Amino acid sequence: MALFKLHLPILDDIKSKGLKPAMLAKVDDAVVRITAGLNIGDIRSVLRGDTAPRPNPRVKPHADGFWLHMKPTYYHNLVTPLYPEFRLGWLSLYFMVFETLTGVFLMVFYTPSPLVAYENMLNIMSNVPLGLFMRDLHKLGAEWMVLVVALHALRTFLTGNYKKPRQFTWFSGVILLILTIFLSFSGYLLPWDQLSVWAVTIGVSMAEATPTPWPLNLLGEKYLGDPSFIGTAINNIMRGGPQFNASGLLRWYLLHVIGLPLIAFIFIGVHYYKVIIHGHSLPPEAEKVGEDSAKRVPLDQRTYFMPDILTRELFYVALITFFAVFMVTAGGYHAPLEPHADPLVTPLHTTAPWYFLWLQGMLKLGDKVIWGVVAPGVIVGTLIVLPYVEVGPSRRYADRRVGLSAAALVVVALSMLTFMGTPWYAVSSSADQEVVAALVPQTHPGPLRTTPYDELQVGAYDAADWQSAPTPGLKNLLRQYEIELNAAEARDAMFLDGHGRMTIEQWQGNLKKITFDVTWTKPDGKPGEFTQTVYLGADSNYGD
Amino acid sequence: MTVRVVIGTILIAATMAIVAFVMVNEPARMSSFESGFTGRSVEAGAALFDTNCAICHGVAGQGIENVAPALNAADLFDGSRLKSFGWSGTVKDYVRAAIAGGRPRASAAFAGYPNRMPTWSQQYGGPLRPDQIEYLVDFVMNWQTAALAQAPPPPVVDAVGTDLNTALPAGDAARGDLLFHGKGPGGQFPCSACHSLQAGQTLVGPSLAGIATSAAARKPDYPAEKYLHESVVLPNAYVVETFNPGLMPQTFGAQMTRQDMADIIAFLLTQK
Ligand code: HEC
Ligand code: HEC
Ligand code: HEM
Repeated sequence: MALFKLHLPILDDIKSKGLKPAMLAKVDDAVVRITAGLNIGDIRSVLRGDTAPRPNPRVKPHADGFWLHMKPTYYHNLVTPLYPEFRLGWLSLYFMVFETLTGVFLMVFYTPSPLVAYENMLNIMSNVPLGLFMRDLHKLGAEWMVLVVALHALRTFLTGNYKKPRQFTWFSGVILLILTIFLSFSGYLLPWDQLSVWAVTIGVSMAEATPTPWPLNLLGEKYLGDPSFIGTAINNIMRGGPQFNASGLLRWYLLHVIGLPLIAFIFIGVHYYKVIIHGHSLPPEAEKVGEDSAKRVPLDQRTYFMPDILTRELFYVALITFFAVFMVTAGGYHAPLEPHADPLVTPLHTTAPWYFLWLQGMLKLGDKVIWGVVAPGVIVGTLIVLPYVEVGPSRRYADRRVGLSAAALVVVALSMLTFMGTPWYAVSSSADQEVVAALVPQTHPGPLRTTPYDELQVGAYDAADWQSAPTPGLKNLLRQYEIELNAAEARDAMFLDGHGRMTIEQWQGNLKKITFDVTWTKPDGKPGEFTQTVYLGADSNYGD
Repeated sequence: MTVRVVIGTILIAATMAIVAFVMVNEPARMSSFESGFTGRSVEAGAALFDTNCAICHGVAGQGIENVAPALNAADLFDGSRLKSFGWSGTVKDYVRAAIAGGRPRASAAFAGYPNRMPTWSQQYGGPLRPDQIEYLVDFVMNWQTAALAQAPPPPVVDAVGTDLNTALPAGDAARGDLLFHGKGPGGQFPCSACHSLQAGQTLVGPSLAGIATSAAARKPDYPAEKYLHESVVLPNAYVVETFNPGLMPQTFGAQMTRQDMADIIAFLLTQK
């Protein structure tokens, strides 16, 4: 007696139909299962661009499959072209996936500990095949994602999509904007280099300024001996202690790889569900004022997801991926890695990442509490309540002059604040240091380090005398030195009659020591002097 | 739509081609990154050395008498300091351990120095982070090439030379045995790599079994001692049949002291 009966239907098929037809039928069968409804013939007809047969097999994957269960089977003809959506929502989603994939790759080679994190970064860049490539893609993707999500928010504002009935879609979007920015920012600390620790230090010190309101401050004073204990607690939680330490790094890491992505994925689900529930809105001018016809698409106005929308969406994904890959290779974009974090050395020009420069700019306006805590809170609050407060029925541009002007004003203000956030605006360090920092900056290689090593001939040189330098590289460098000195004299009234000297010594077989010596006269006639030493190795490879 | 599909496919193919190109170049890129980073590490080490170490070890690591030893010296890199210290790891490990842990107690070699080498790594209670210790190690190790190149092997005092009339002291066969086998105290020669002491076994050179007897018969008016002496310091003066001249090193005369020569001869004379 057989314990079980093995029956392979394929054998019967082969017997009755012959080998080749039977195998083809089997493959077709598998394709139908994988695509949840389309067989090979259907796919080929989609790719050929045939009009859909009736009944339309192309809607089955939406009904039966998981991946397309939320995707509409057809769109209104008016929302298929680039305008009005610019595919920005779709690209936001794509970047979320892109960042997850490249991020998981990096996670494999990373340990969140101050002792080894930086070494891990070096290892990723020097020892892991495609490590540098993946790191650059992840970093570039993070910056582009912030940009794309912000532009998506801007476009939904401009076309008035936050209005009834999409208030909650907008709200969930604001949450996603905040999550995106914090996802990007929380990744900043992980390399544990000077840039990361100091950029995050600026951010945390802002949060630390959170005031402890009355009467809590009195209670705090009485029982904890600390009237601003809320700020202190926030600081301790975010840094792991008064100073950034191992616990702090671990927290930011967990936030970056688990906490924020988890919340983001949930909110993306909510957000997209809402989008589908209400339908993709038509361009504002295509609807009557106050009417929402997104859900009622006349038969003759339908564009089916397959193949039209699908190929458009895939096309933009292919395009942006190509761009990203091109940028990190031929385009020369590389995620920076500065020297190892050193809490004792404050770099001269620390800036926040570009999407926080506006905040850094606001901080230069004055009080930390008002500009660093209250103002950002007000901005986020305004964004959230916007659709519930601005309830004008019309989405048309002509009817929204106040709102659109306000948006334009906000964009201009943000750009100005962003400029103010850069070191070009209101830097407080002294002119002599700036002169040397222009030649050997702390945040990127700069002119000296990219001058060919061999052209830095041993000797003592005068910036004013740049024309008699022995090599073109030196000439160039000394000329820049002289230009910086002149600029400093023009800019700073405390810096008169500046002189620059540069001494190059051979320090080890393949190491040179370069000493910059700036002397000047102060307005009261007293001399000033500033010296800075830099070492440069023959193989240090700053060129690229 | 066809245009989109075609361009999209081309873009994907182009993306894959770039990735493939990157992949092919990875080994070269990775090694250049590696050397680039070591270069930057040396730079950082140089700055740290200047602020922390130069006061004792001298600005160029040349050492300061009665304060701290030279760090750019050949004996640090050729292994002799390691040996006197009983260190079994590499020079790099030795340097790292010395810097990170310091020398709270004077080592035998530098017992006369009044100052102690401080502990530097935060891991052992010093002021510097572990990565800074690595930069210093890279900086110190960067002296290696120059230090080793500068130091030619010390000339042998009282070399025996190539003059067969040089008077030799009394030989010690036991020490000659050790010298012959590359293990001698105060001198080692690779004779046994080319000469077997078993009859009939030819390595690079002839077996020296029974050489005490055959040496006396090689040249008419040469006693065994004189022939052996000549064979070592002037190997080509008499080339054994079936061997080519020039195979045996011609420089032993400059490398051996007269005592070494006498001892080796004494040892060979025991091979009857
Ligand atoms: C207070 C003076 C002093 C300072 C500062 C100092 N050293 Fe030393 N160093 C010594 C002395 C003394 C010795 C020999 C110790 C012994 O072996 O007893 C030594 C030994 C060493 C050795 C081992 C040498 C050998 O051959 O065993 C190394 C490597 C070294 N120092 C590196 C450094 C570095 C790098 C620094 C800077 C971070 C530094 N030292 C700072 C005094 C100093
Ligand atoms: C690189 C291999 C090599 C080394 C090392 C070497 N020899 Fe020789 N030796 C030869 C060769 C080959 C001959 C035979 C050709 C000749 O006579 O020059 C020879 C010949 C001799 C002879 C003459 C043998 C005879 O039968 O006449 C003596 C004695 C001798 N070596 C002793 C030594 C001693 C002692 C040392 C170590 C100090 C030494 N050799 C190291 C290759 C070597
Ligand atoms: C990770 C971030 C985000 C993702 C993945 C995402 C995704 C999407 C997608 C796929 C759509 C439909 C297609 C489109 O309109 O482009 C959409 C629509 C929408 N999004 Fe987002 N979005 C994100 C962030 C935001 C933000 C920050 C806002 C506003 C603050 C926002 C507000 C809206 C609104 C109002 C719509 C409806 C548009 C319409 O009906 O035409 N979204 N989102």
